[in-house]
Amino acid sequence: MSGRWQWFHRLGSPKWFYEKTTRWLPWLVGAMALFLTVGVAWALLFLPPDYQQGHTSRILVVHVAVAGTSLSFFPLMAAAGTVTLVWRIKLADMVAKHAAPLGAWFTFLTLASGSIWGSVMWGTWWEWTDSRLVSMLFQLFLLLGVISLRTAIENAETAARACALLSIVGCINVVIIKYSVDWWNTLHQPSSPISMEVGNPNGPEFWVATLVMIVAVYLFLAVSLILATRNEILERENNAQWVRELVAQAR
Amino acid sequence: MTEISQDASPLLEVRALTCERGERLLFRDLEFSLDSGQVLQVKGGNGSGKTTLMRIVCGLNDSFEGELYWRGDALGERWDAFHANLLYIGHRLAVNHVLTPLENLRWSCRLHDPADDSGIREALAEMDLAGYEDSPCYSLSAGQQQRVSLARLLLSSAALWILDEPFTTLDVDGVALLENLVARHAREGGAVLITTHHKLVLPRLRTLTLGVAR
Amino acid sequence: MNRTGNSAMNRANAGAAFRATLKRDLLISVKRRNDILNPFMFFIIVVSLFPIGISPESAMLRQIAAGVIWIAVLLASMLSMDSLYRSDYEDGSLEQLLLSSQPLYLLVFAKNIAHWLVSGLPVILVSPLLAYMLALPAEGYLTLVLSLLLGTPVVGMIGAIAVALTVGLGSRGLILAVITVPMSVPVLIFGTLAVQNSLAGGSPLGYLALLGAMLAAAASLAPVATAAALRISLN
Repeated sequence: MSGRWQWFHRLGSPKWFYEKTTRWLPWLVGAMALFLTVGVAWALLFLPPDYQQGHTSRILVVHVAVAGTSLSFFPLMAAAGTVTLVWRIKLADMVAKHAAPLGAWFTFLTLASGSIWGSVMWGTWWEWTDSRLVSMLFQLFLLLGVISLRTAIENAETAARACALLSIVGCINVVIIKYSVDWWNTLHQPSSPISMEVGNPNGPEFWVATLVMIVAVYLFLAVSLILATRNEILERENNAQWVRELVAQAR
Repeated sequence: MTEISQDASPLLEVRALTCERGERLLFRDLEFSLDSGQVLQVKGGNGSGKTTLMRIVCGLNDSFEGELYWRGDALGERWDAFHANLLYIGHRLAVNHVLTPLENLRWSCRLHDPADDSGIREALAEMDLAGYEDSPCYSLSAGQQQRVSLARLLLSSAALWILDEPFTTLDVDGVALLENLVARHAREGGAVLITTHHKLVLPRLRTLTLGVAR
Repeated sequence: MNRTGNSAMNRANAGAAFRATLKRDLLISVKRRNDILNPFMFFIIVVSLFPIGISPESAMLRQIAAGVIWIAVLLASMLSMDSLYRSDYEDGSLEQLLLSSQPLYLLVFAKNIAHWLVSGLPVILVSPLLAYMLALPAEGYLTLVLSLLLGTPVVGMIGAIAVALTVGLGSRGLILAVITVPMSVPVLIFGTLAVQNSLAGGSPLGYLALLGAMLAAAASLAPVATAAALRISLN
């Protein structure tokens, strides 16, 4: 297996990533700040209160954006895991390693914002009949499982590959869980509370604000993941010549 | 590191083998080949990577760079064919404690070669375990358990034996027995890769010492 | 004996290795006894806690019976998971399994079947008795047993992936559950829905078919993933 893919290793080399992201980061951070400011200001100051939900609908702008982003973590980790298992590119694992806790945090934020919104709209902080909350909860459990597997295995390479495999299995499983929970839910819904459908009564200004927010949150995700990965690179490559030079320059 | 000259068509060939564990380099650009009829003894201090080398050659450990060749074919595609010709006995003996020697060997032989009970009994008798065939392995001593594991050498048709510290718990008779087995295997055209601190006396013995470079 | 030649010809076929592995694992379990008894006892004890903890009234128990039995089965199979591969890892048999010239997923599949036969099947066989004790109406029995027959092997095979990933760890009891339990949610959903549907007078066939589909998918994919996980763990 090894040896054959050495050229590919160089393509995804940590050094290459570090240098590229050094150039990209200011732009990404700038774009993130812009979208975040516009999105938040729009949602909080300019969005007209919903005729049905009142000011509560502002929470949805954040909730929908965070929820959408948190759905991308398992596919991301599964893709990185495939790269780790097949091509042994260390960079993929460095990304995957930090994607898991970040994903858990985003999933938690989705649950928290959803439940705050629900506390106003449904009068309850938790509602089992909302299948999205329930499948998010299980996604959180699965992500926590990946994180705890990572911490349990001492050997970094074994941990990387074990977590890669678990992420792929988990990614398939999240999809199955989502559909089965949806199914389960439609059968357990005697009196449907107000559904969390976002679109129906809302005008285009709500959607545009949400879109801006989605872009902002995705940028935030990219920036956090890149920063975490850069730290990981410095930590893992601390013996490499270029890292030493970098540290020497910084001093 | 000792380099060993290459033959025309070696059974096993290792080229430019480099392995790091954690941040520590175990060996770099290790090269050796093993021909039929040869015994290669791997030496080196604790932590010099003897067991890691054994496991790499077996295909259990793939955290390495370099190439392995079996009869001239690069391994990596054809592990199955290689494994059919390989017998590995590691630190862990693969002897289940609740099973009897007979039951243990029935299974481990089936993973490779068909073997009938009479063959297994003969092999156990040759390992001086006659009468113990049907006692559970937890009632055997450590040395006897090792003999159960080594009985697989008699039952296998594998060309390459990889033995990791096979002498540790054997008594004097056991040591002589195993030395004879290794010598016979080499004489019959097999090859043996062995780690031991034991002083082996064999006609075509070669040695490879790990950990010298550091 | 010619040791270098014709070994390929002597190679035992994959079926023989499959049967030998199945037989060996069953034999070990029978000799150890605890592998069979503990999940079984655990299952019975957990189920009998529910009437005490929730309510002894049969009207209430009838409603929760299917779910209680399914959850107890999940927990029992989680408990029994720990014995899968552990002793094989410790005594080195797992290395030999990996070095077999036969396909590893096939041997893994044999171990899965053996494990299910000793830890899953006895629990399923006693489940009608416990269903009776939980006042499950008679029309639910057959569906319950069928759903368990289809569902527990899926849980076992998913669990085997997690076991294989954690086989090298010293203490792994809880991490195994943390990984496996969320993954068995779909099986739990369709298993309990099948029973509830047949209690409501409907046909459970749709759900049983879904469980069957999951079983087919798990049987073809999970052993491959488990084999890969074993190679990673033993690296």
